[in-house]
Amino acid sequence: MTTELPGLAAARLWAAARFPYLASGIFGTQVTAVPGLGSVAIDERWQVYADPEVAGGWTAAELGSVLVHHVCHMLREHAQRAVAAAVTPADCPLWLRAADAEINDDLIPAGLELPGDPVLPRDFGALTGRLAEEYYALLTRAEPRTDARPGPGWQDCGGGADGQPRDFEVPGGLEPWLADLLQRQVAQEIIRHSTDIGTVPAGLLRWARQVLAPTVDWRRLLAAELRRAVADVAGAADYSYRRPSRRATAVSGVVLPALRRPVPELAVVCDTSGSMSDELLAMALAEVEGLLRALGLARQLRVLACDAAAGPAQRVSSARQVSLVGGGGTNMGAGIEAACSLRPRPAVTVVLTDGYTPWPAAAPKGMRVVAGLLGSGAPDAPGWARSVRVPGVPGPDERR
Amino acid sequence: MNAAQPNAVVEALGVAVAAREPVLLWGAPGTGKTSAIRAMASAMDLPCETVIASIREPSDFAGLPVVTGSAVRFAPPLWATRLAEAGTGVLFLDELSTAPPAVQAALLRVVLERTVGDLTLPDDVAVVAAANPPEQAADGWDLSAPLANRLCHLTWETSPRGIADGLAGGWGAPPVPLLPAGWETGEQLNRSLVGAFLQVRPALAIAPPASPAEAGRGWPSPRTWEMAARLMTAAEAAKAGEQARSALVRGAIGDGAGVEFLAWLVDMDLPDPEEVLASPASFRLPERGDRAYAALAAVAAAVAARPTPERWTAGWQVLGGCAQAVPDVAATAARVLARCRPDGTPLPAEIKLFAPVLRDAGLL
Repeated sequence: MTTELPGLAAARLWAAARFPYLASGIFGTQVTAVPGLGSVAIDERWQVYADPEVAGGWTAAELGSVLVHHVCHMLREHAQRAVAAAVTPADCPLWLRAADAEINDDLIPAGLELPGDPVLPRDFGALTGRLAEEYYALLTRAEPRTDARPGPGWQDCGGGADGQPRDFEVPGGLEPWLADLLQRQVAQEIIRHSTDIGTVPAGLLRWARQVLAPTVDWRRLLAAELRRAVADVAGAADYSYRRPSRRATAVSGVVLPALRRPVPELAVVCDTSGSMSDELLAMALAEVEGLLRALGLARQLRVLACDAAAGPAQRVSSARQVSLVGGGGTNMGAGIEAACSLRPRPAVTVVLTDGYTPWPAAAPKGMRVVAGLLGSGAPDAPGWARSVRVPGVPGPDERR
Repeated sequence: MNAAQPNAVVEALGVAVAAREPVLLWGAPGTGKTSAIRAMASAMDLPCETVIASIREPSDFAGLPVVTGSAVRFAPPLWATRLAEAGTGVLFLDELSTAPPAVQAALLRVVLERTVGDLTLPDDVAVVAAANPPEQAADGWDLSAPLANRLCHLTWETSPRGIADGLAGGWGAPPVPLLPAGWETGEQLNRSLVGAFLQVRPALAIAPPASPAEAGRGWPSPRTWEMAARLMTAAEAAKAGEQARSALVRGAIGDGAGVEFLAWLVDMDLPDPEEVLASPASFRLPERGDRAYAALAAVAAAVAARPTPERWTAGWQVLGGCAQAVPDVAATAARVLARCRPDGTPLPAEIKLFAPVLRDAGLL
């Protein structure tokens, strides 16, 4: 640890006192004095480079705030996100402004005292509480490119904020796996602070919850459930000794199994009762159709619209062709029963519903049921169905 | 989460091959998994047999049943015989996730016990597999949980920067870790570390995946904990980087349990606050700032939980000893301590040490 930078101890103390839930992160940075740098910057490994001349003109609160700001760049992984967002070196200044806005909109109301004129979303006419990616998209569209120079002073936050290595960076710092652990530790401290002691800015709290319990994308869950249901039913292109293998004539004395691949029939029961959101239903149906197409089963798909009673089955090759008629009451039991009586009988039935429906007491015989529960408040499906929750279209706050 | 650095993954792969633990590389098609494994095998001077699992039948791994008189023999295929004759080598199973479930089931014995039909491959054969994540391979199956549990899962990531460098300057031979003879002796220590951790978190001793989406990756079970201990030992013996060690541990027991175990390992270096309070002079300040903060905050919290005059004074002695080296860290802990002063205890001399820095920070 280097404490060459004058005033660093007081600045970190101020930061740890004002933001106790970030203390581990604040003390986790390694600060080096780099005379002549002209800014205070951070790299991807939690090392801060500070020009003593720039930092010397600030109060302890201002330097402490800059450190907190840089710690947030680390916590929110702006460097990796810049790479993921395909930020080119030429666009880095815009990304830096977007990343700064994401941090500052939350922390300045919580008592961050940054020197100079910190970037805020309202500077470029955006709402607060959005993601850096959204701000960045807004900036690249709105701003004339000639204006894309980094601001004066400390506003070049360094490679830790945009993923572009700077030439003043030195090797060392935290190894990525230790940085990972430190990040989780800060997240745990934020959660503990918010439940035991006091308030935490909402953006940081959301970040901490997402780090500790990441939400799994429902599309992945639905895909896994469908693949599993289809694999179980299809015998998964399985090998069987019931029929002789076509290769058996080539090698006498060897007993070879044959490859058997029953093609499962599929049905989708769509809840069309009045309580359903059309947009969500269309999204889920399109997802199911896309998955089946990937599995090579799209042609086996039949769709049933169901409210209190099931409508006729429609054989479709695209989700756009489905006409969903209905309204009124809900009984998915009727839909499942109707799917059972289809010939050929479907082996897998996907039920897309908002969950406000009676269900059959027992699983239908010889058929797997995957329930897609649409909307965040949907009640549980019965235990015999594999269920996947499809939350509503997330607001900007829920995404990360 | 921080993505594992690609070179750390290559290093981890080398350690797993050197330790002869079965390992599986997950990655998008076309990112050089196969060529990396072949390059590694040739750098280690091992014969490499590539078997594409997705176009094989179960009998290719379980042995072809051959009727000889009144008995059935399970004849091994030629690649297995070649490896058995060489006595060593790398068995590379490509396209594992596109193999049908029946083939995956037949692979269970090959991966763990190196048994193909009636033939047992020599212990010195390393098993390496590669797979595309199911969401990237249209005809992919999820890896079955029993097969997933027999492998150490490494995520093969490529960075645009790495690709640019590789195209311009060549990919280079992968580094080959060297395991000194008798490296297994260190395994007992790591096994007892795992045991100590599992006493704290018994729920993680065995935790099969709950949802099908995570079924295809590593998950904690007695077998994978043993694998993690062995891989940790190998990584330490080969002097691999900590990043590679972390990738191996997380690959064996899964991300969730892996992170908890690694965090526990890091925390184990922290001094016990009660011991520090019993003899303040023995306290050694951890080097890294956040570790120093964790140690001092733990001491302050221990005093705050049971503030007796003796403990309070001892706490100040610990903080006073650190005031010179890390004034800000010690002062942060001192603020906690100052709030829990037991009635009638005289102010300690150390409190003066913090006055300048507190005044500078505007907190006095």
